[in-house]
Amino acid sequence: MAQDNKATTRACKPFEEDLVLYYYGELGGGERAAVEVHLPGCQSCQLYLKELESILPLTVKPDEPPQAFWDDYSREMRRKLAEASERRSWWQSLAEFLRPWAIPASATAFVALLALTLTFGKRFWSSKEIPQDDVAVVEILPMAENLEFFKTMEVLDAMDLLENIGGPAKGST
Amino acid sequence: MISFMEGSPLVKSADEELVSLARSGDHKAFEELVERHKQKAYRIAFDFARDREEAKDLSQEAFLRAYTHLGNFDGRSGFYTWFYRILVNICLDYKRRKQRTSAEEFNESIEHQVEPSQVSQKPPSPDQQVLAGQLSRKVSAALAALPPKQRTAFILKNNQGLSIREIAAMMQTAEGTVKVHLHRAVTALRRSLADFA
Repeated sequence: MAQDNKATTRACKPFEEDLVLYYYGELGGGERAAVEVHLPGCQSCQLYLKELESILPLTVKPDEPPQAFWDDYSREMRRKLAEASERRSWWQSLAEFLRPWAIPASATAFVALLALTLTFGKRFWSSKEIPQDDVAVVEILPMAENLEFFKTMEVLDAMDLLENIGGPAKGST
Repeated sequence: MISFMEGSPLVKSADEELVSLARSGDHKAFEELVERHKQKAYRIAFDFARDREEAKDLSQEAFLRAYTHLGNFDGRSGFYTWFYRILVNICLDYKRRKQRTSAEEFNESIEHQVEPSQVSQKPPSPDQQVLAGQLSRKVSAALAALPPKQRTAFILKNNQGLSIREIAAMMQTAEGTVKVHLHRAVTALRRSLADFA
């Protein structure tokens, strides 16, 4: 068994990468022509190319499974897809909801809802509060009731006065 | 040579039609996509794993991932380019996990996967068996030692016969970068496998 670092054939430096591409049929027009002009006169590049031709096919390990393998493959795949489909049905709706467009849309809807709530809700909440003008009325109301009381008292005083006027007259008699 | 790219508009449009149906909930349409691509997918997975059962699991995992992420397929590339990108990523993840396990155990499994149809009629001599075993181990070790991008470029070019343009689309990189990866991979493999030249 030789070592990994065994010296290999060296191609001319400017052609080395092109020779790999040439081997794979990936060199276009001008570059391909340049390699084909160079090769006949360069033994090291010829050896390099031959080495590629002998080594690279060794790395391919062909595998042709029998038909039974493919039948099993398809059967297993159908089962796995059916299972995935079941799982997909419930989380797909969630995943779709979390798609990029849904997040800004939800955020916009939330902000709009918040704005509407603050706009219309303020009226509702503020109606429960007593306005500044109403505070004065509320404060005056008991006074007004007292005023009525005092008015009543005035009438009573007047009646007492009348009684007093009539009283001494009776008493004097 | 397998062609994966937009060479045939009919195949491309038919795939996209199936993708569209699958996205709308028709999983039979996706099963048809599996039938179309399963052999190519399996072969790519096999080139990475070099093990039949692992290759089957990896390729099936790629189909399942594609199915559950169909919503992410934007149609800018063909379905197969998108799908094989998923597959290659799964294979590379597998290789990373696998590197933690014993290399001996890995190679034994490869040797047991050889199909009787692949073996020549005449039984190999003990020397040939030893040499084949050595080669198999050496190739596996040499491929495993490549950095992931070099290994991907090499397998897709050398084993699958994809064009540099197709590989670049699949790896989402420039064609020049793929050429560099390929050249470096070939140089490393030449060094490792020089004994078998």
